[in-house]
Amino acid sequence: MPVPVIMDCDPGHDDAIALVMAHRSPDIDLLGVTTVCGNAPIEATTRNALRVLDFIGADTVPVARGCYRPLARPLRLGTADGPSGLDGSPHLRDSDRPVEPVHAVDYLAARLREAPEPVTLVPTGPLTNIALLFLKHPDVKPKIRQIVLMGGVFYRRSEYFTPTEFNIFCDPEAAAIVVDAGVPTTMVGLDVTMQVLVEQPQLAELGEIRTPLGRLVLDWLAFYEKLHRGTMGVGGALHDPLALAVVIDPTLIETKPAHIAVDLRGTVTLGATVADFWGERGLPDNVRIATAVDADRFFALLYRLLRD
Amino acid sequence: MVRMILDVDSAGDDILAILFAAKHPDITLEGVTAVNGACGSIEQATRVALNTLARAGRDDVPVAAGAYRPIVGHSKADMEAPVHFEKRLQARFGDRLKGFNPPAPEPSRPADPRHAVDFILDTVRANPGEITLVATGPLTNLGLALLQEPDLAGLVRECIVMGGTFGCPGNITPVVEYNIWADPEAAKLVANSGMTLTIVGLDVCETNTAADGMLTRDDLADLAEHDAPLARYLVEFLPIYIDIWREFFGLVGFPMDDIIAVAMAIDPTLCTTEGPLFVDVELEGRLTRGQTIAFRGRQILGTSGQPSARICTAIDGRRFVSMFKQTICRHG
Repeated sequence: MPVPVIMDCDPGHDDAIALVMAHRSPDIDLLGVTTVCGNAPIEATTRNALRVLDFIGADTVPVARGCYRPLARPLRLGTADGPSGLDGSPHLRDSDRPVEPVHAVDYLAARLREAPEPVTLVPTGPLTNIALLFLKHPDVKPKIRQIVLMGGVFYRRSEYFTPTEFNIFCDPEAAAIVVDAGVPTTMVGLDVTMQVLVEQPQLAELGEIRTPLGRLVLDWLAFYEKLHRGTMGVGGALHDPLALAVVIDPTLIETKPAHIAVDLRGTVTLGATVADFWGERGLPDNVRIATAVDADRFFALLYRLLRD
Repeated sequence: MVRMILDVDSAGDDILAILFAAKHPDITLEGVTAVNGACGSIEQATRVALNTLARAGRDDVPVAAGAYRPIVGHSKADMEAPVHFEKRLQARFGDRLKGFNPPAPEPSRPADPRHAVDFILDTVRANPGEITLVATGPLTNLGLALLQEPDLAGLVRECIVMGGTFGCPGNITPVVEYNIWADPEAAKLVANSGMTLTIVGLDVCETNTAADGMLTRDDLADLAEHDAPLARYLVEFLPIYIDIWREFFGLVGFPMDDIIAVAMAIDPTLCTTEGPLFVDVELEGRLTRGQTIAFRGRQILGTSGQPSARICTAIDGRRFVSMFKQTICRHG
């Protein structure tokens, strides 16, 4: 049986690829998509969600527009995806269908309440919508099977180390609410997503998929890869697709339970997700952290979903 | 006629504010929304709002339950400080304290099925430029509504907030008032929204320089002369409140914070105001988190905030108290 999933995203090239994977996977029943500001303003991320879904034939998947700003901080937009949030998409046309008539937070609450079985949430942007959902509709928590989110960075030393990850940094107060919500949560952070990189071999493999969908994804990655290489010196990291892929195949990653706290006060560490592996805070584990990933199997899954 | 939504946390003076709004002939009370705050839980706040409207004979006014927690809040120890305060009150007043914020009985009718945020948004959107919001508790409901609907600020007629302090000592820390402290992030959302605001701070209610706006035992004696059920109710439940504020805050009467906020909607001349000014809310620091700062004068570190708030600096207290007593004693 496919797993019922709602994606909460800010497309974003990597969000867009995650949407494609969710729609194409026979293991996922994509109930709906909610949008949030992050990689681009809410108007742009919502427009992108609609036009990506329409292009891939998922034009019956509802889209609900969500928060236009973080809970308690000024809006800080990402820069990795260009001003439209999805630059380098010459083949995408604007959608002419409307978004849901209710706010994403109320859409989520309604879908969860009516769902016959608990639903998996996959947030791949700042956690504003999910936090607002818990502030406004705490009764829906039991209807969430689990949250698999792209966000955070923990402890793995690497040359790309940064104390904070964008999704959490954008709305740290929201992230703090989500990790403490008492809902089973897996955090797929930079520790693992910076290991699923699109380099020349991956681009070559994707170039073999000569379908409109393959071309679309290749267009995106060509743009995305270039920007990443400019800032980080490596190819495009498939952050959000990895979070989605973990729902399809949990064995792609290894995880470790921990209590994490989100820094809400730091000047240079704002939004840091600090894990307490030694139990020094005396608080129960609140999330599972992804600690290792099988990148080859992830890419094999991506190619298969784009090809079949 | 003022069309009003009253957002309350249903502690002592909120109850008076509901009664006053329910009875005043110049107010059309579109609804009461409840928020978690001084009375301890959203369930208690909602029940008290329903029961208070029933007492005023206003079962026609919808009540919607709102936020059950602040957006961020404080450390666990600080959040529990009011509970420890209640233990001190218990030690001083013993059994008399049973009349202070007693657990509310089951109301005779249900609350509106909508969340308070949706009740506010639906009502304001359906009546653009018409609705006055009066908030007398923590600002969580209004903050969440602004997060969901950026246009809210331009759709309300005005918003009157009981909260903050500008010149007199705070009641949580020396510079912080309870309603703002209870949800500083929400208060900042409201203060920065550009909404037309009137702020009723502690300066016109919880300081003895504003003593003539407080309710005293003399006022209760006046009320006792009237054959009005609400007057009898106040004569019965208010003495413990008067004593608490006298003994623990050094005030000469019961401060009428929330009722002043409602009254300002129908008679803005009751308070002298200053502004419009930009008012911001400090979010950092244990002693300053929740401080309300009005941008007066000229500073090097300026602000781009909109001057949209009028702050109350003095009150015509006896006129206000007369207005309150007359309204409470109204028949029908």
